[in-house]
Formats: sequence, C-alpha cells, structure tokens
Amino acid sequence: MTDKTRSIDLANISLRDALDLAVLVEEEAKDRYEEFADQMELHHNPEAARFFRFMLAIEAKHESRLAERRRGLFGDEPRSVKREMIFDIEAPEYDEVRANMTVRQALGASLQAETKAFEFFEAAAGMVQMKDVQDIFTELREEEREHQALVRQEIARLPPEGPARDDDDEIVAL
Amino acid sequence: MTTTNAPLPTYQAKDYKSELKPIWCPGCGDFGVVQAIYRALAAIGRPPHEIAFVSGIGCSSRIPGYTTAYGFNSVHGRALPIAQGIKVASPELLVLVAGGDGDGFSIGGGHVAHAVRRNTDITYIVMDNQIYGLTKGQLSPTSPKGLHTVTSEYGSLEEAVNPLLYVLAYGANFVAQGTPADMAGLAEVIEAAIRFPGFSFVNVQSPCVTFGEDDQQVKNHRATMQSLAKLGHDPTDRLAAMGLAQKYGKELHTGVFYKNPDPPPTMNALIKERQQVLSEKAPPRSRIFDRFLQT
Amino acid sequence: MGMAGSGGDGIVSAGESLISAAAYEGYHAMMTKSFGSQVRGGESSCRVRLSTARVQNPGGTLDVAIALNWEDFLKFGAELPVSGDTVVIYDSKTGVEPGQIPLVGVTPKEVFAVPIGEMARRAAGTDKAKNSVVLGLIAGWFGIAPGSIVRGLNKKFAKKGPELLAANERAFHLGEEFAKEHPLATPRAMAPPTSSGSKMLTDGNDMCAAAAILAGCEFFGGYPITPSTEIMQFFTREVWKYGGAVVQAEDEIASIGAALGASFAGKKAMTATSGPGMALKTEILGLATIAELPLVIVNVQRGGPSTGLPTKPEQSDLFQAAFSASGDVLRPILAPTSVADTVDVTVEAFNIAEHYQTPVILLSDQEIAQRKETVDPIDTSRFTFIERKRPTAVDLQSYARFRMTEDGISPISHPGMKGGNYQGAGIEHNEQGNPTASGKVHAAMNAKRFRKLAPLQRRRDLFRIDGDPDAPFALVSWGSIAGVCREAYLRATAEGLAVKLLVPWLVYPVAEEIYREFFGSVRAGLVVEASHQGQLYRILRMYVDVPRGVTSFARDGANPIQPGDVVERLRAAALALQSPPSAQQIACEE
Repeated sequence: MTDKTRSIDLANISLRDALDLAVLVEEEAKDRYEEFADQMELHHNPEAARFFRFMLAIEAKHESRLAERRRGLFGDEPRSVKREMIFDIEAPEYDEVRANMTVRQALGASLQAETKAFEFFEAAAGMVQMKDVQDIFTELREEEREHQALVRQEIARLPPEGPARDDDDEIVAL
Repeated sequence: MTTTNAPLPTYQAKDYKSELKPIWCPGCGDFGVVQAIYRALAAIGRPPHEIAFVSGIGCSSRIPGYTTAYGFNSVHGRALPIAQGIKVASPELLVLVAGGDGDGFSIGGGHVAHAVRRNTDITYIVMDNQIYGLTKGQLSPTSPKGLHTVTSEYGSLEEAVNPLLYVLAYGANFVAQGTPADMAGLAEVIEAAIRFPGFSFVNVQSPCVTFGEDDQQVKNHRATMQSLAKLGHDPTDRLAAMGLAQKYGKELHTGVFYKNPDPPPTMNALIKERQQVLSEKAPPRSRIFDRFLQT
Repeated sequence: MGMAGSGGDGIVSAGESLISAAAYEGYHAMMTKSFGSQVRGGESSCRVRLSTARVQNPGGTLDVAIALNWEDFLKFGAELPVSGDTVVIYDSKTGVEPGQIPLVGVTPKEVFAVPIGEMARRAAGTDKAKNSVVLGLIAGWFGIAPGSIVRGLNKKFAKKGPELLAANERAFHLGEEFAKEHPLATPRAMAPPTSSGSKMLTDGNDMCAAAAILAGCEFFGGYPITPSTEIMQFFTREVWKYGGAVVQAEDEIASIGAALGASFAGKKAMTATSGPGMALKTEILGLATIAELPLVIVNVQRGGPSTGLPTKPEQSDLFQAAFSASGDVLRPILAPTSVADTVDVTVEAFNIAEHYQTPVILLSDQEIAQRKETVDPIDTSRFTFIERKRPTAVDLQSYARFRMTEDGISPISHPGMKGGNYQGAGIEHNEQGNPTASGKVHAAMNAKRFRKLAPLQRRRDLFRIDGDPDAPFALVSWGSIAGVCREAYLRATAEGLAVKLLVPWLVYPVAEEIYREFFGSVRAGLVVEASHQGQLYRILRMYVDVPRGVTSFARDGANPIQPGDVVERLRAAALALQSPPSAQQIACEE
C-alpha cells in the first residue's frame, strides 16, 4: 500500500485533500483506460478497445462527480495533492494487457484494478484519524466493491470464447 | 492546511508526455518506464525544451519521441557518444540517454566504459529485457546462457553480460536498478540519477511481453524484487555493490547499488575551468593565423 | 632540394630550419616530409623547394640532393629523383667514391663527398650537429639566407643553453667554409626574394584547424589517425580559448557521433580522419544527412585500401566520400589544392554545412595536410561566416523542424530553444520529425534533401578556371595534384599549346553546367589525379558528356606526378588528335 502514494500523509489527510486524492485516482484510471484503448486500436483489437473506452467513460463520470463534490465543499482552493504522488491506485497495471487479449481478459484487467482500488481505500480508511475523511474513504471502498460485482457480472454474461487471436501476421516492427 | 511535504512542482508529469502514441506491444515494461521518467522529470522541474533525450535503435529507443523534450532517436549503439557531444557543447542542458541492452551492451558496448570515465553529467537508462524484441526475438547480450531463441535454436552458448557489474567495474559513480513493477521506486532512482552530478546509470529490468520468458514478466518482478535499502545495503560501498551485482540474472535488486558520496568534478566542470583560464590570454579568432608568421 | 638520412640525423629538422629562414626572408617555399613507417629511428627525408615566385607543388627532379647515407636515400626512390642537373652532396663517411655513387642510369652535374659527420664532431663533439653542417653547406653553396638561418638557430637553441647554440653555430660555419673552399663548377646562387616581408609558414592540417576555429567551430571530436591527427592536436591546444571543446573519443564512430551531438545542440562542429576512419564514420554520416544537421568531416586521404600507405598521399577516397552510404545520399565534397587555400575551403565547408544543414566532406590529402608551405599573411576580414537558419518567433508558434520549403531549407532549432522542441531521427520522418513508413513522405523528404543542394552546382566561385575559354586542350585536376597541373598548364601555355585548366574546390555534386561549358571547346585533354582508377574522371563521366579526347591520367599514390609528365601527355594527346582514331578512353599507367 505504501508503494501506491508518495509524499502523502494518509493518516493525517484532510477532507479536501482526500477528495482531491479520490479525483486523481479516477483521473489516473481514466487516462490508463484511454492509453489501453489506443494501444488496442493500434494493434487492431477493436473489441478490447471498445471495452476500454467504455471503462474510460465510467471513470470519467466518477471523476467529474467527485470533482463536483469537492468544488461544492472547497470551491477553487488550490490542490496540494498531485498526480505525481499516486501510483496506479485504480489504474490497471500496464502489464495486464496484451495485443491479442479477449474482452474477457480485458474485463479481468478491470477487475484487478477495481480490486486494487478497493484494497487501497480499505487500508486508507483504516489509517485516517478524521471521521469525515474516514467516511469518504469507506464510501469509495464500497463503490469499488460494487464495481467489482458489476465487472464479475459482465464476465459471467460473456459467451464462452475460444483461444486468443493468433498473432503470426503481426506487422514487422521497424 | 496541507497534508503534503513535497515542494509543489512547476511542471507536471503530463507536461513531459507527447501526443505520439507508443507503438510498443500492450503489456510492455517500457510503458511503466516512460511513466517513471515523466514523474522524475516533473520532480526535477526543468522545462521540456531544456532537455535533450537521446536514444539508439530498439523498442526502448523510441522513448524520446514519447516525451516533449528535444529528442534524438539516432542510430544503433551510438546514443552515448551523441549525448556526450550535446552535453559538452551545451552543458546547461539536461541530457538523458536511453536504449536497450543490445544498444548499450552489444553494438554500442564499447562506448559505455568511456562515457563512465569521461564523466559528463548525463543519465543513461537502459531498458534491459534480455532479448532483441524489435527484430523479433533474437539473442541479446544479456540473454541467459542456454536461452532458446530464433537465433539460438539449441540454446545460446554464451554467458550473459552483467550490465551492473560492468558499469560498477568501469568506475561509475552512480549505479542503480529498477523495474516497472515498482514504478514509484523506479521514478525515484531515475530522479536521483538525474540529480547526481556526473555520469549516472540506471538499469531497468523491463520485460518483453512478446518475446520474453514467461517467468521474467512484470508480475514475477512484483513477487521477487528486493529493495536494496530494505536489505540494508550501504550505497557508498562499491565493493558491496559489486557483490550484490553478481546476483544479476538470479535476483532482482532494486534501488541504488552505488552512489559516490564524494563525486569527482564532472568533465563539464573541468572544461569550464579550462576555458576560463585559457580564454583570458587568447587573441581574437581573427588573429588565429598570426602564430604561423615567421618572426 | 631533397635530403635523406636516418631518423637521428635530424635531416627533417635541417629542412625546417631552412624553410623557416627562407619564409622569414620573404621567399616562397614548400617542404614535404617523408618517413619510413618506424615510429622512431627510421629513415626520413624531406624536399624543400624555394622560389622567388609562388610555389605550386613540391617540384620534380632535384637541383640539390643530400644523402647522409645512401641506403636511406635510395629508399625514397621516385620521391627524391636525381637528374643530370643535380648537385649531389653526401657524407664521405659512407666510403663511397664520388664516381661510384649508387645512382643507376644518371650522372649528376656535380658530386661532393663531404665529411659531414666528422665536421659535426669537430664543431660540437657530437654527430647530432650534422644538420647544422648541412645548413652551412647549403648557405655556402647556394647563398640561401645565411643570416636568417643563424637567427633561426639562435631561436631554436635559446632554451637549450649557450653552449649548444655555440656548438651548432660552429658546425654551421664549418659547413659554410667548406662550401666556400670547394666552389661549384657552375655557380648556382639563389636570387634574393622579390617580395619583402615575412610570410607565414604552415601546413594544411594546422591551417584547416585554425580556419575551422575562425569559422566559429566550437566542437571537435576526433580519434588519432595518420595523416590527420595534427588537426585534433591544434584543437586541443587552441579551441578552449574560444569557449569550445575537444573530445578525443574512444573510436572513429564516437568521435563523429559526439560532433553530431554538438551540432544537434546548435554548435558548429567538426571531426577529422583518414580513409579507414571514414569507413567507420559512414553510419553517422548517413544520420547527419537524414537528420539534416550541419557537420564538417575532414578526410586527409592517404594510400588505401584499408591501412594502405598511412604516410603517403593518394586521391582514392573520392568514391568513398561520394557514395559510401546506405540510401540515397547527396553530400557536398570540397577539396583544397594547397596549404593556402585550405583556409578558404575550410571556411566554405562550414558555410555550406550550416547553410544547407548537411554534412560536408573536406577531402584533403596527406601532401597538403603535412607539407609546409609559405603563405602570405591572411586578412581574415575578407571572409563571411554563415550561420544556420534559425526559426523566427512566428515559426516557433507552430514549429515543424522539417517543414517543406521551396528551397528545401527548414529553419532549425536546438535544445534550449523554447517552442522548437522536435525529434531528430535516423528514421524517416514527417515535417514534424515524427517517424513514418509512408512512401509518399519518404519520397518528398528525399526530394527535399536533394533539392536544397541544387544551388551549389551553380557556384562558379568554387571553381578555378584559367586559360583561353576557346582552347581545344584541357587539364582538369583536384587536390594536391592541382598544383602540379597548374605548373604543367603554365609550361604548356609557354610552349604555345592552347590549353585551359579547371580545378574544382567543389568536387561533388558534379557541377554539370560548369563542366559542360568548360568542355564545350575541348577536343583533347587530361583529368589528372593520384589514384589507380582515376576516380574524378569516372565520376565526371557519370554526369557529363566528357569529350572522347579527354582521358584519365591517373597514377597510384606515392608515385609522384611531375609537371613534366603532364605536359608530355598533353602533347601526346594533342598529337593523337591529328592521327585518328583517338587514343583509348582511359589511359592507364603501366
């Protein structure tokens, strides 16, 4: 858990900073899904790309919702939590994807990310001192739990699939 | 009220990210490396136009193009000489060099020792994946002995190069290793390497997702990596560092192997000193031929 | 004047003292040195040519031959040719009688056996003063600058103490007295110099390095290789004074790589080498072409292939310079023809490199690079120095490093310039510098890289053309051999032959229009050069309809071409015109 943030004193984090952290977590995940969607498009895997764009939209929605809440409470007060301080809290890991991955595998990558985020917020909720911050982290943790369930449902609804695409015809790189 | 203790950066990681989309295979270790570089650069805060980022040829050598710095994606194995020329000519620039293990320890292997002893203030990041990925899976200098590849049908007959041990033995004053499995740690060593005055070397174990060994992927790194700091390694002890570096290929150590606590002056500092002393009594350029007059 | 001895005899140092004194007096002079391949103690020789008029080349047969021992002298063969007009002076210690000297098929005009070593020991107590004795003999017999020679000895030995100076002065005077006691049968005293005032005395390598610094070169990357190393040595002494730096790299590739890096960083940069080093630099040369970076690469040619003849001149790297590349490459090649014009050509190389954002190869050769020559003092204000075209503030608002422009030249930024950020690359790229595999973009970029150099071919100032424009006979020559041809041209003209001479500084790309015009009136002629194949001749035929009567006169390096040889062949070519069919297209040297 300590390798997920740098220079953030989670135990003493303020409500404003906790909300900013939450916004950045969603932003990071959104950016990662966008990268993944781009990667899949570049490698001619439209199905996986479509799924990652779908996830991108969801994370973007979460991000704006949280950002709105933050603005409501703290207006335009400057942010002291920065993107550079967090490391893949809800963003799926770069090594979770493959050029020829199936949609099921793409969902698996998402599930892994939601699980990571759940674990992060659970640990964070256990560390913080202030009640209102604890509430926020607990709320975020529960959201991640719901997401996990949703992704699991999606996986269950997928038709059974064959082996991954054979990549013998991949273009010769430069 | 603030709950952070870091100074606020003028530049953010995203300011160093270009709009070019990486052509790397999805899952490649290099995605994490470039992220770590963005973060290290943001922490240092030099504007992108004051950074020159040189590479050779290979998958990893595409990396300058994914940053907003001035980039030079040169030819195979020659990134180090070009980078040193840039740094000597324009010492005010932040100069980064990146490439793969083939670039650094095979075709360009002869340049590393000299970059070390020349000690210009540049940072060399090698993305070491033990394979030639761009040309589709041939042996690389760091491939383990016995590895089966398309150019070693029956297993390679050669011992692997040990980049860490080589560079330590060449006398480098800053040697570190990282993996994209620990992006925070990687960003930290890259930042420390850039801040170090003089030639610094970071070996990044950056697995090839397409041609690499299944048990050498980022997932495996997460399970096996050991932080040198946690092992209690003293990074000012070169011999201890060399002892640990012997484990290259068997154990994955992350962090700083060696950092000279008393770094010698860089070549740039020595050049500046010489220029100052000698320019004082120099005739103008226009009188450069006077020395040939027979007086 | 040609002299030879063993390394320890100081024969080259005698030549240097002589030429230095002559330059001080205002004579025109040239000196070439030649050594065995031993690092120390091998045979060594030098030729010194002094004149009251400009010296174009090291000359043909010797007026004076000095042998400290015959074995060493004979090793230099055609480099020290003796004729029936030569005065031969040798050390009597060799035991050879004046009638028995080992020169086959030639009877010199006069022969003197002189106890050179013995006189040196008498004057100075050591053989080491032999060179001072030789200088005394030369001063005594030929009246060359005795005062200035003694003055030179004074300067040379000032630091070594009054005793050594006195001993060498005694040795000099012994030589001078010997000459006066044994006068020449036919006196041959040098006329006094026509121009007064001291000249510069220098060689091509030093002039090249000095001119580069004058042109604003701030970075030199090098690797030691004969016969170019003196360029790096000059830089290591001087460039720091002007805010520049030198890197002696680990190899030839790194040295040009570092220089290219410096150019990428926005500085004028140079590297120097010889043929074998050029072979290694080829990959970075290609990079410089596609990355459109200015760079000056000096190749001081020596005999090849491979290690070849490291200490002898040859003009056999022209094909390499023009064609050694992967892909479609056009890079300008400039060749100096003397120590003096090495300055102009070097400044021009930087100007072309900067203006056209291209590597420029400066193809010098061992003779120009290492021969000492008198040069009139240079007024540096006559030069203009071109800087690469930088982007304007407007350009930087939406900067594209490789923007398609009409003249093919795109404003070039460098790290540190805000808004100019781009990716330099060896990979084909679009206008922004981003990688591409598009055939369309590749064709457009190739066209741009060729188009931008087109104006060069119209640069008449990069050619020296002499003689009647309607002359039916022609000489074309380049590099150090151009000086031989210039003398041949003067002699042939004096003989009444209607001949004209073309000497290019710009050797490649071939200036088709200029040659077409030049060859318009020509019915016969020679392309003269020091190589086996006649590389310039063959390149000209690739691009120009060279008249059938114009043939190649090419001789392998280290086999000097004399002005007389050229005149003779020119006469033969003129004769052949009157008796068709014409001579074969390529006359090879047997």
